[in-house]
Amino acid sequence: MTAKVARGKVLPSKKNKTWATVWNFRHIYLFMLPAIIWYLVFCYYPMYGILIAFKDFKYNLGILGSPWEGFRYFKQFLSDSSFYSVLYNTLSISALKLLFGFPAPLILALMLNGVMSGKFKRIFQTISYLPHFVSWVVVVTLMQKILSPNVGLINDIRDHMGMEPIFFMGMPSLFYPLVIISDIWKGVGWGSIIYLAALTNIDPHLYEAAEMDGAGRWSKLFKITLPTLTPTIGILLIFSLSGVLNAGFDQIWLMQTPATLSVSEILDTYVLKTGIQQGQFAYSTAIGLFKSFISLILIVAVNKVSKKVSDVSLW
Amino acid sequence: MGVRRLSAADRIYSTVNYTLLLIFCLTALYPFIYFLALSFNDGYDAMKGGIYFLPRVGTLENYTKAFKNPHIINSFFISVSRTFIVTVGSVILTALLAYGLSRKGLPGRRYIVFFFFFTTLFSGGLIPTFILYRELHILDTYWVLVLPSLYSFFNAIIMKTFFDGIPGGLSESARIDGASELSVFARIILPLSMPVMATIALFVGVGIWNDWFTGQFFIQNENLQPAATFLNKMISEASFQSMTGSSSGSSIKNMNEAQMQLRGVTPEALRMTFVIIITAPIICVYPFLQKYFVKGVLVGSLKE
Repeated sequence: MTAKVARGKVLPSKKNKTWATVWNFRHIYLFMLPAIIWYLVFCYYPMYGILIAFKDFKYNLGILGSPWEGFRYFKQFLSDSSFYSVLYNTLSISALKLLFGFPAPLILALMLNGVMSGKFKRIFQTISYLPHFVSWVVVVTLMQKILSPNVGLINDIRDHMGMEPIFFMGMPSLFYPLVIISDIWKGVGWGSIIYLAALTNIDPHLYEAAEMDGAGRWSKLFKITLPTLTPTIGILLIFSLSGVLNAGFDQIWLMQTPATLSVSEILDTYVLKTGIQQGQFAYSTAIGLFKSFISLILIVAVNKVSKKVSDVSLW
Repeated sequence: MGVRRLSAADRIYSTVNYTLLLIFCLTALYPFIYFLALSFNDGYDAMKGGIYFLPRVGTLENYTKAFKNPHIINSFFISVSRTFIVTVGSVILTALLAYGLSRKGLPGRRYIVFFFFFTTLFSGGLIPTFILYRELHILDTYWVLVLPSLYSFFNAIIMKTFFDGIPGGLSESARIDGASELSVFARIILPLSMPVMATIALFVGVGIWNDWFTGQFFIQNENLQPAATFLNKMISEASFQSMTGSSSGSSIKNMNEAQMQLRGVTPEALRMTFVIIITAPIICVYPFLQKYFVKGVLVGSLKE
């Protein structure tokens, strides 16, 4: 390969050859240079900024100049009871999203696959994608209006039926159901794309053969359809499991009200409040680092297990 | 699947299936219809409730007031210009990166890929990013709305996978004919890659159009607020007021000012209208790009 690329040049040593190849590709490196600079500045420099978590950060002293504090901030949040409630909320929301939100796109894809007419299928699909393209700000505005205690759609209907209005968005007990439902509403259509594509790859002859052998709808589903989808389900499950500390910043931040804080404060919203709003940079960075680190371990571990068990892997 | 006669069970299955899908599609669509009806209805009349599908007292007042409101118009144009710049810039820069990553025989390619890939596994987090913006002096400037959104490794991988599918012979022969890398890229690769460019443009464009976070936490200047951030301030202001019955703070003062110019139009009706204004561009665009992005998502999900 290298020999072919470095065509037309007589090169004495192997080392020079490599440099000649590099020289041949100089324009390609130039193409990537803006990206490399951008990633160094916007992704790698903040990684260096993580040092703040171990320092008593002062702006005028800079990151390196600020005095070391060791693990003080980690000890601080590990001994803080509100940290555990925040962690508990984060894990609860993620777990519920995984339990109800993960199968939803699969079910929608199977349902869409059962639609015979191509035209209807396309219309259904197009409409189901719509919520994905709308900002969480818009979705939460829609929810606030529809669920509003004064002439929101739902309370309007309840009023017609002689029922008392409910302040849906302000009730801690309704927060998780609303989070899950809106999350599914927004993501289910988009999430079904991958499954639908995998479904179109199934050879119809398989189904025909199964029918001849007397297989019914359900046995075809469990013996042909689901096994075909297993690798796709596996990959998506890895993603979801490794993101288990991401309960969904945008959605939660926009949906939480002072009344629901006890159940709605998650790691990401907590980091933002203690950090940017209260200026406790070091403390907040320490929590953020804790979160990134656990996530990194999770993604590597889950990927490893999955590679062993099912040969499905992200890298 | 070549089904000629439907059995009773099949027919029941089909009916249930179609019904459920229809219900789902209605719930996906209905909130927008509801808001559309409210935005074309007189605000004070709407406060009586009972509007579900069509406006009862039709009016264009909400829209004319919205388009006369300097804050709404300004935030809308901030979003438009920002979306345009980021989309164009990001597609070009990401394409250059992806083209580089897709070039076989590139010395050090594995390390370069890892350099980019690692950032998807681990990141500095919010506060170091905030401090970075501060040190770059881009907080509270237009730059912060543009610069941090230029690259995404995920998009680069989608493009790279697409480029991998273009026969290498095409560009190889052009190179032998003496074409420079840049002209190979611009004259051969780009024209063949329009579907994936359209997909990435849609992803980036929608993402940046919908981004409210940057405007909320990195921008203080009211005149630089993107539309999504402004809408969020409108709703949080509303819930704040309804909860405390009072108002204070700079953005809230600004909001009141905005509402003062809107006598005759309720703040509520204005919010509905703004939701429609902010959503309309996306609804107009995405169905046309559907066939592209469906493919794009798939390509992106299949790592090498």
